[in-house]
Amino acid sequence: MVRSIIYTATAIVLCVAFFIFTEIYVGEQFGCLTEAAAELRRKTEEGEASENDALAVQALWDDKKSKLHIFIPHNDIAQIDYCLSEARGHLAAGNAELALAKIETVVRLSRSLPFSYSVRLENVF
Amino acid sequence: MALIFIRTAVIFVTLLLCMRLMGKSQIGEMQPFEFVITMLIAELACIPMADSSIPLMYGVISVVTIFILHQLVWLLDALFKPMKAVICGRPALVITREGIDAVQLKKNNLEVSDLVESMRAAGYFNLDDVYYGLYESNGSFSALAKEERTASLPLLIIDSGKADGDNMAKAGITRGQLKQFLAERGMRESGVLAMTADGGGRVYLQKRGRPYTIEHIEVKGQW
Repeated sequence: MVRSIIYTATAIVLCVAFFIFTEIYVGEQFGCLTEAAAELRRKTEEGEASENDALAVQALWDDKKSKLHIFIPHNDIAQIDYCLSEARGHLAAGNAELALAKIETVVRLSRSLPFSYSVRLENVF
Repeated sequence: MALIFIRTAVIFVTLLLCMRLMGKSQIGEMQPFEFVITMLIAELACIPMADSSIPLMYGVISVVTIFILHQLVWLLDALFKPMKAVICGRPALVITREGIDAVQLKKNNLEVSDLVESMRAAGYFNLDDVYYGLYESNGSFSALAKEERTASLPLLIIDSGKADGDNMAKAGITRGQLKQFLAERGMRESGVLAMTADGGGRVYLQKRGRPYTIEHIEVKGQW
């Protein structure tokens, strides 16, 4: 009986600690991407963005996503990958307007995705 | 990840509640919460394993959630006795010295034919072969057998007020014969809870809300 209580309590504590860590970690990782993507958007709007800027954001994202794969479905990560690649391609081709649309999608996704996996009533049901 | 934990817990509680409401006919040899765990755990482990777009961690968290819930239910069972009845249910005494308890059968979503089948599986072929018969909370059937049993195979002629045409044909009992048999005892088909007849014409007859009686009817069947 005592051993069962200890196992159960340990499992609950470990789970709660892991949940808190996940919530904070995922939020921070997407926070970094949001900041980088917002900066790229600003530069694009002002006509200062180049392919290298998009490549820098992509490199940052590649580093973050390798760990995020543990916590969120891979399809959601792939969505950001596609948008970033398209934005880079448009910037390389000099299509700032098209690139801006894709960057806007990245900003939106990086803000909304962490909330899709947080504990909220609408996410439970 | 906490979301996966909560979602798994919600599904677990919903399934457990449904299994309890469905009665004992839906489970066999397992407590309701064990049955729910068996149903869930295979799916929870398999889906992330087979679908590479879902992180494996989702399966791990779900299985750990099931472990925690199992332990909590087990602890509630052990520490608070009334909780055992709520989670696992109580044994249902379906056969007494007066015959079948229709109320208990209904409570557990069972019919007389289910009871007859459970009795046969337990080695009792006549409804009056036992003093007491009960369904345990895990759905298995237990009985206190009489010292002497009737060596015959009875057919269920009337189950909860409805005559079984196939069994009547096997027993060689006609509609008119059955009607007359019941009328002589002041009964109607719809008022009979259970009636069985064996090859020797021995009849177990129980009216709803009344003790059973052993009667005799002419049969032409060969079994």
